[in-house]
Amino acid sequence: MLGFIRSKKIILKGIVAITFIYFFGLMLKITLDYVPVSSNVSFLMIKQTEVTSRPEYLPIFYVHVYSSIFALMAGFIAVFFDNNLKYLHRFSGRIYVFIILLFSSLSGIYIGVFANGGLVAKVSFVLLGILWFYTTYRSYSEIRKKNIQQHKFWMWRSYALALSAITLRMWKVILVYLYHPNPMDIYQIIAWLGWVPNLLLVEYLIKKQKR
Amino acid sequence: MKSRNLIFASLILSVTLLSCKKGEKSAEKGKSDSLVSKKEVQQEFHKEWYGIYTGDFNSKPKPTEYGNEIEEYKKISVKINRITKDSVYGYSVVNGNQRSFRGILNENTLGLILDEPGNDKSDGRFQLKLKQDSLVGDWIAFNKTSVKSPEKTLKLTRKEFAYNPNFMLSKDQSEDSDYENPVDWNGGKVKKNSFVNDEGKTETYENTFYRSASDNVFKINASKQKLAEKDLKNLRKLDLQIIRNTVFARHGYSFKKETYRQFFENTDWYVPVSNNVDADLTPLEKENVALLARLEKYAEDHYDTFGR
Repeated sequence: MLGFIRSKKIILKGIVAITFIYFFGLMLKITLDYVPVSSNVSFLMIKQTEVTSRPEYLPIFYVHVYSSIFALMAGFIAVFFDNNLKYLHRFSGRIYVFIILLFSSLSGIYIGVFANGGLVAKVSFVLLGILWFYTTYRSYSEIRKKNIQQHKFWMWRSYALALSAITLRMWKVILVYLYHPNPMDIYQIIAWLGWVPNLLLVEYLIKKQKR
Repeated sequence: MKSRNLIFASLILSVTLLSCKKGEKSAEKGKSDSLVSKKEVQQEFHKEWYGIYTGDFNSKPKPTEYGNEIEEYKKISVKINRITKDSVYGYSVVNGNQRSFRGILNENTLGLILDEPGNDKSDGRFQLKLKQDSLVGDWIAFNKTSVKSPEKTLKLTRKEFAYNPNFMLSKDQSEDSDYENPVDWNGGKVKKNSFVNDEGKTETYENTFYRSASDNVFKINASKQKLAEKDLKNLRKLDLQIIRNTVFARHGYSFKKETYRQFFENTDWYVPVSNNVDADLTPLEKENVALLARLEKYAEDHYDTFGR
């Protein structure tokens, strides 16, 4: 029985890993669109107002793009190997926390202020950035206090928010396929749909674990 | 632009004529100048017939088992630039294919025989008759095997072309269709669906989806207002394409793409007169066109893909 549960868990983990690698590949492809640095490639094609009027926009945007791909990978490794490979868990975890607190979340908040889709989207992205910073920071401070369970829960929250990079884009593909909405109408929806359900799901998992 | 050049040329011509009358000043000019003016000093006739004639350019009806059928429907513009004692000069433009012609006018019958240069496989001869403000007749390809319809009929009426930045597509102009807004009938996407029928078998059927434009194509005028990214970000690709190409339509651009032709050929203001109007765009239009093109590219690459 124990062996069965164990093998079930391994299969589940395998599926999770493969799914992540697939989507990480997509994210990597998006990131590589920005190599070499260009001021009017991909998403920046519709951001020329900001690029030309705010000299700090482009550098901060690139900080976000280049740092976040590493945060996504480091975070996955840390969460995936939460019980074994202690060294790898700690190493990747430190990278994750360091990148987010210093680069990804702060730059994310800044770009959020100038997000497409009007106030509805801006509020969402800024809030997402603030929560990402806070949850990551809390998780870090809990482990400093050797409070493993709280560390774990806060890191789940943090990484659920990090994964919004993927879920947001997934929702976009689905909703565009189904309804063909105008680009900024969909943008307002996915701005929230990208992370709120993730967070709710994680809160549910945390509640389940606590019981 | 060509029409402007020609107007300019005829201006020069009338100026030289005037100056000749006034005195013999032009005789003092250099040799090359006198050669040019000799060439240009050719009396022109029937200037009242100069202008643009536009209308149907259809293949000749062919008898089939269902009656006579017309295979090809096209629009043509014929521009008569100059009529001299022995020649008629001008050009025609069909679907962005602009060809000059030269021919003769029979003053008794008011018949025109106009030949295209003949170095293109779709060149041919027009045989037309002038009747007040209309030009009617046919066209026969020089090489009958090289084109789909070697014999065509023309029914043209005279139209004035004038650039006006206020021209827009409007809702009522598409009243002959069931759709109020422009629909791209050429870019349909086929989607396959399947269902299980009464006998438990799976059947598939196909639906074709066409893009339709929003009301923004009636409101946003890229010839008059300076457009910003924020005005256009929420538009779908077709809207952007129409708004951009309306600029070219105002300048009399003859579209190569069927998609764009169908939107403008139903309007009363669109007169295709040239296959290149780039030089005619105002600085404002040039800026807007570049912006619209950029957003079109973004919409094309990113609208339905994994990304933003």
